[in-house]
Amino acid sequence: MQNADAIKPGYPLFTGEDYQATFERKHVFEEAPSKDKLEEVFCWTTTEEYKTLNFQREALTINPAKACQPLGAVLCALGFYKTLPYVHGSQGCVAYFRTYFNRHFREPIATVSDSMTEDAAVFGGQKNMFEGLQNALKLYQPEMMAVSTTCMAEVIGDDLNAFITNARKDGRVPMDFPIPFAHTPSFVGSHTTGWDNMEEGVLRYFTLNEMEGKTVGGNRKLNIVTGFETYLGNFRVIKRMLKEMGVEYAFLSDPEEVLDTPADGEFRMYAGGTRIEEIKDAPNAIDTLLLQPWTLPKTKKYVQETWKHTAGNNIPMGLGGTDEFLMKVSELTGQPIPDSLTQERGRLLDMMTDSHSWLHGKRFSLFGDPDFVTGMCQFLLELGAEPLHVVCHNGNKRWAKDLTQRLKDSPYGQSAEVHLGKDLWHLRSLVFADKPDFLIGNSYGKFIQRDTLHKGKAFEVPLIRFGFPLFDRHHLHRDTTLGYEGAMHILKTLVNAVMERLDEETMHMGETDFAFDLIR
Amino acid sequence: MKSSDLAALLDEPACDHNLKGKTGCARPTPGATAGGCTFDGAQIALLPIADVAHIVHGPSGCAGSSWDNRGARSSGPTLYKIGMTTDLSEQDVIMGRGEKRLFHAIKQAVDRYSPAAVFVYSTCVTALIGDDLEATCKAAAARWGVPVIPVDAAGFYGNKNLGNRLAGEAMLQYVVGGREPEPPPVDPVRPDLRVRDVNLIGEYNIAGEFWHTLPLFDELGLRVLCALSGDARFAEVQTMHRAEATMVVCSRAMLNVARKLKESYGIPWFEGSFYGINDVSAALRDFARLLDDADLSARTETLIAREEARLAVELAPWRERLRGRRALLYTGGVKSWSIVAALQDLGIQVVATGTKKSTEEDKARIKALMGEDAQMIEDGNARQLLNLARQHRADILIAGGRNQYTALKARLPFLDVNQEREHGYAGYQGMMTLARQLTRALENPVWEAVRRPAPWRVLPSPASRRGAGVEGRLEVRHG
Repeated sequence: MQNADAIKPGYPLFTGEDYQATFERKHVFEEAPSKDKLEEVFCWTTTEEYKTLNFQREALTINPAKACQPLGAVLCALGFYKTLPYVHGSQGCVAYFRTYFNRHFREPIATVSDSMTEDAAVFGGQKNMFEGLQNALKLYQPEMMAVSTTCMAEVIGDDLNAFITNARKDGRVPMDFPIPFAHTPSFVGSHTTGWDNMEEGVLRYFTLNEMEGKTVGGNRKLNIVTGFETYLGNFRVIKRMLKEMGVEYAFLSDPEEVLDTPADGEFRMYAGGTRIEEIKDAPNAIDTLLLQPWTLPKTKKYVQETWKHTAGNNIPMGLGGTDEFLMKVSELTGQPIPDSLTQERGRLLDMMTDSHSWLHGKRFSLFGDPDFVTGMCQFLLELGAEPLHVVCHNGNKRWAKDLTQRLKDSPYGQSAEVHLGKDLWHLRSLVFADKPDFLIGNSYGKFIQRDTLHKGKAFEVPLIRFGFPLFDRHHLHRDTTLGYEGAMHILKTLVNAVMERLDEETMHMGETDFAFDLIR
Repeated sequence: MKSSDLAALLDEPACDHNLKGKTGCARPTPGATAGGCTFDGAQIALLPIADVAHIVHGPSGCAGSSWDNRGARSSGPTLYKIGMTTDLSEQDVIMGRGEKRLFHAIKQAVDRYSPAAVFVYSTCVTALIGDDLEATCKAAAARWGVPVIPVDAAGFYGNKNLGNRLAGEAMLQYVVGGREPEPPPVDPVRPDLRVRDVNLIGEYNIAGEFWHTLPLFDELGLRVLCALSGDARFAEVQTMHRAEATMVVCSRAMLNVARKLKESYGIPWFEGSFYGINDVSAALRDFARLLDDADLSARTETLIAREEARLAVELAPWRERLRGRRALLYTGGVKSWSIVAALQDLGIQVVATGTKKSTEEDKARIKALMGEDAQMIEDGNARQLLNLARQHRADILIAGGRNQYTALKARLPFLDVNQEREHGYAGYQGMMTLARQLTRALENPVWEAVRRPAPWRVLPSPASRRGAGVEGRLEVRHG
């Protein structure tokens, strides 16, 4: 029992005999199967037979490796100057999004909802929108509100454009107050789709009818569209590289500051972000670079058709990916790649040579968003590491074909399988059937590690945390995965995971510690 | 230590070069010599004796810098991995409290770890202030009832090699002959088998590679009384005098031990190596020859035939991948030729080999293997190694850890064959490991990436490209 002099948290408190006895007694009344039976079924779920059945699953998704559209829309909206993300729909969804980001970024997240309820579902959500826009403007004094929607509003077919216009006419918000919007139903696509939709909505809102007098290359800048990007370091590294090249840029959505405010006693509801003038000026840029092009089809189409930008580049991840990106920037702007970046590239190569023998032939399974897994696979191949299972819930067929080809082209990608539209329960079966050395993915991967460990230490697949969300480790969102700097970080993380694992396995005194070496 | 004793050690009669008018080991050249000191040599030679408390008598740096820096593996006790030092302070030096401190340090080591023995290593500081290591050890042994062995090999006595030798001397003087071995074990499957006792000297069980060869000895009925010092125990060292044959595995280090075992106890010895199929077979044959045992000879031949046939099959695909590759080898002693043989066996062309620590005989063997014009590298500083690699269009540098990062800077694949390596290459089985690791080192995609200049450094026109970093070119900027 708890003792007031030495209060214990839930773990280890509940491991005490008294609690354990309670659990045992409770078990009797639960009409639960016996422990042996549970164990038997668990073991069955690790078999090839179960894997076959699992992959025949049609209706049920178990442990999805994706989130929903408005989550992405909110992240996109957070990246604009003094902008309040506004979600038209039920408030529960918005509470989810805020916790999601709170837990990942460890920052307060300002987002409002217009709290649609049953009457709104019956009569339409216009009334909620009127009040919502009016109240939010008054309470939080934003200079822009970016509206997205939840499923509820989408199912009843609310028309955002009409509602917002009506709200203006009704005097709820000033006629000229900027309110870009995007329809973001959760039952279509994923969080990356929502980011894309919101981005396109914002760009369209400010530039569609103001294209007159805009000339491609007029402002000598490059536009950067990050896509659903949750690594603060990635915003910073792209900016740094562009600065070193002497290239002016505009990030079209830049939540770097608002997601990283200092603890100086002041609460900043808004900080940093892309200004409206920058968006309006964006069509004058030389080009728009999409850092996650596979997940930005709508934005790409818009900037190509309306702004006449080419928007053709790949994710700047790993050595080759970054090379390609810098060359592209150089080609577009005419600015040479400076020695400082050549030097940085050389340092990355130096690190790669230093560590290559530890990563060569190591097998990694991974999951995440399409561009992330593509970039990660590329870098793994560059290191001589072997991608094994590549699970992506929210890619499309063309993406899968592209990645499959890239893997096929490398001797290190021969055993790789790309699984499109599959969830983490599929991945669980995959790693039981063919054990990789490590799993790369977000925090949800830890349950796969636990399950594999339960089967036995020899089956355990340790998780290396990369992606979104990262709830169970602090500050990983500050890291960098793009550019040479990002590649250095990834390399460091992977190689040290290998060594930590080796240490863990060889530190058993008198058994394996003959190989517990100081020098690795 | 008396200068006459040191001179005697430097003048090792078993070294071929001492017969040719040139005497003694090379002295270190100030400003131009890299490499360990005598203390380091003594320490690494004995440290693998696993159940001994190794106390470094001196300031903390000597123990700190050498602590656990070699991958010698033990199958049992791990006491040797615990870094012990008297950690002398300035006051200890001024007040002459070194001996007292050592005496108590020995007590603490004995009390806490109950070691089979305590080895005490002197350092520059304790040798300079004149601590009487031998007397202190003697007193401590009498007082605490555990053998306490002085290893008087202070850093300034000379180079690392001398340290190896001094360590061997200490074993001969204080340890060998201290105990009779157990009667030979009887193999229940082969009760009639006559077990013969042998010694290995200079086998350090780096990365556990001795465990590749030990099963061969077991199978042949050769009992390794003591491997000095890989995976050894104090009690094993004590019985070395009862072996019937000795193999010196790492040529220059501790040659004196083999010679003196022959002088004092009449144990014949030979030099050999466990790297490469031919050398392993030759070593096993040499044992049979020295032991003059027809039955053993026959069984040895059977084993060799079996293992060589097995390897021929298993190595075939690897030989295919490695054929025609060019290697630059830079390592010491026996490895300068035995690894050459192993590499050649895999179809690799060895373009040059290091001979800094090789004897005349080693060099003769190199010539036999690589031809009269074999390029030998006497002093391989980083710049020179890289120049040679470029000159000979080497595909890989095979050397010790200290040269690893040099090679990598020159974008040259690298394989570590020295003490820090992760893989054991000895024995028949070690050849498989060697082949696999070589293939991996050579084929890693990093090399292609690293040799390709940054894409923006390649100018578009073919004329200008010639000037701008040709692919694969080695650039040596810093020595």
